[in-house]
Amino acid sequence: MRVNFGLNGAPVTVDAEPYTSLVDMLRDELDAKSVKKGCEQGECGACTVLLDGSPVASCLVLAPQVEGRYVTTLEGLEKNSLMIDLREAFMENGAVQCGFCTPGMLISAYALLRDNPHPTEREVKRGIEGNICRCTGFTKILEAILDAAERIAPE
Amino acid sequence: MKPLPKFKYHAPSTVEEALYLLATLDEAEPVAGGTDLVPLMRDAACSPSNLVDLNNVAELNYVREDSGYICIGATATHAQVASSPIAAKAPALVDAVSGIGSPQVRNRATIAGNLCNASPAADSAPPLLVHEAEVAIRSLKGTRIIPLEELFAGPKLNTLEPDELVTEVRLPAPPEGAGSSFKRIGRRKAFTLSVVSAAAYVELSGGEITEARLAFGSVAETPIRTRAVEELLRGKALTGGLLDKAAESVKAEVSPITDVRGTAEYRRDMCGVLLRRALAEAAERAR
Ligand SMILES: Cc1cc2nc3c(=O)[nH]c(=O)nc-3n(C[C@H](O)[C@H](O)[C@H](O)COP(=O)(O)OP(=O)(O)OC[C@H]3O[C@@H](n4cnc5c(N)ncnc54)[C@H](O)[C@@H]3O)c2cc1C
Repeated sequence: MRVNFGLNGAPVTVDAEPYTSLVDMLRDELDAKSVKKGCEQGECGACTVLLDGSPVASCLVLAPQVEGRYVTTLEGLEKNSLMIDLREAFMENGAVQCGFCTPGMLISAYALLRDNPHPTEREVKRGIEGNICRCTGFTKILEAILDAAERIAPE
Repeated sequence: MKPLPKFKYHAPSTVEEALYLLATLDEAEPVAGGTDLVPLMRDAACSPSNLVDLNNVAELNYVREDSGYICIGATATHAQVASSPIAAKAPALVDAVSGIGSPQVRNRATIAGNLCNASPAADSAPPLLVHEAEVAIRSLKGTRIIPLEELFAGPKLNTLEPDELVTEVRLPAPPEGAGSSFKRIGRRKAFTLSVVSAAAYVELSGGEITEARLAFGSVAETPIRTRAVEELLRGKALTGGLLDKAAESVKAEVSPITDVRGTAEYRRDMCGVLLRRALAEAAERAR
């Protein structure tokens, strides 16, 4: 079936079977390779994307369910100033090791800081509770997100 | 990589249309957030021929107050309920749904789905039980309204007919002097299923407990109320002695099993611990 939706600011049309998951459609049909496929059970967060602005696990969303909606992946936030701050903070704080969780982690961190630019440590932990990292032990990721929050100019 | 089994997808835009599809299609399953259903389908534990997506049914997406009830539409997500000022009148419910899964899960998953999935560990169930929630169920034949307890038939079994849809979950708006609380124990602090969960609801007048309701998750075949302990609490002052007695008595009223998340003995003991914590917080909120 044909699925029409907005991807990273542009309208797209894909011919997909209904039993295709959003993560597969994004990676295989639309070349959005930042979206990683991990557990396919909604547990690991590697496939996190924004659906109408809210983080969701794209392995649990069916392709036809995004009809008429907006999907944002890391590719669409390349020039976004908040994402640039986050990316740099991740690199400078050593928050990336193997890198597999990083795109999903950045999407969750982005949604968190967009809605709450100056979160407490606890709020950051809650913001990324759905993203699992097997390398860093989370401490450096936590530090990176708090560091990025400091780079955001106070209102 | 686990492909999903094949199915036909339907996206009705009205309840009427959804009910018609459920009544006429073979092996049709409704889907809301898909956070229970999609993993089950991937594991081939469930392979419906037809999926009826409720997400485009605009009339099912609301949290509102109506005739003294807090009404939650079938596609209201945990995130929607968690941030709703109306739902805030039932703090046990807000605390429970705020801790379900992760932001990614809460942005998709629904209360109706959590209840229809009928897991003994469903975190929204104990708070809704103590708030005496009712479930509105519709089919082409009409609407029936049942107490939430009657929706649960056993582990992962509900009492719905295949052509029925839960359209709303509703609970009486609590009066002045009421308070509720939800407490859970998981294997870690966040993003994990409950090993045991408990909810308490109390109404206080002077120092006296005029109404008490308690419910537990993951300690029986379905989420349950513990009515004998409730009876023990009614009409008394909330003293340390009464709490001790209630925490001990509750162990006789639950029937937990041992599984990967915890042993029966541990769960039974934790019912006493959670009862204390939940009752204390509910009473504080009632004052
Ligand atoms: C990573 C992860 C973490 C989780 N953590 C928790 C947790 O901490 N606590 C917890 O309780 N749960 C948890 N869950 C389970 C799940 O997210 C919840 O049970 C959720 O509320 C289910 O809602 P849903 O809308 O996604 O249901 P769906 O998957 O869409 O549906 C579940 C079942 O209910 C039926 N159904 C749905 N809506 C209706 C309706 N209106 N009428 C009739 N039938 C209907 C479907 O046919 C299906 O059988 C977790 C799941 C995941 C993937």
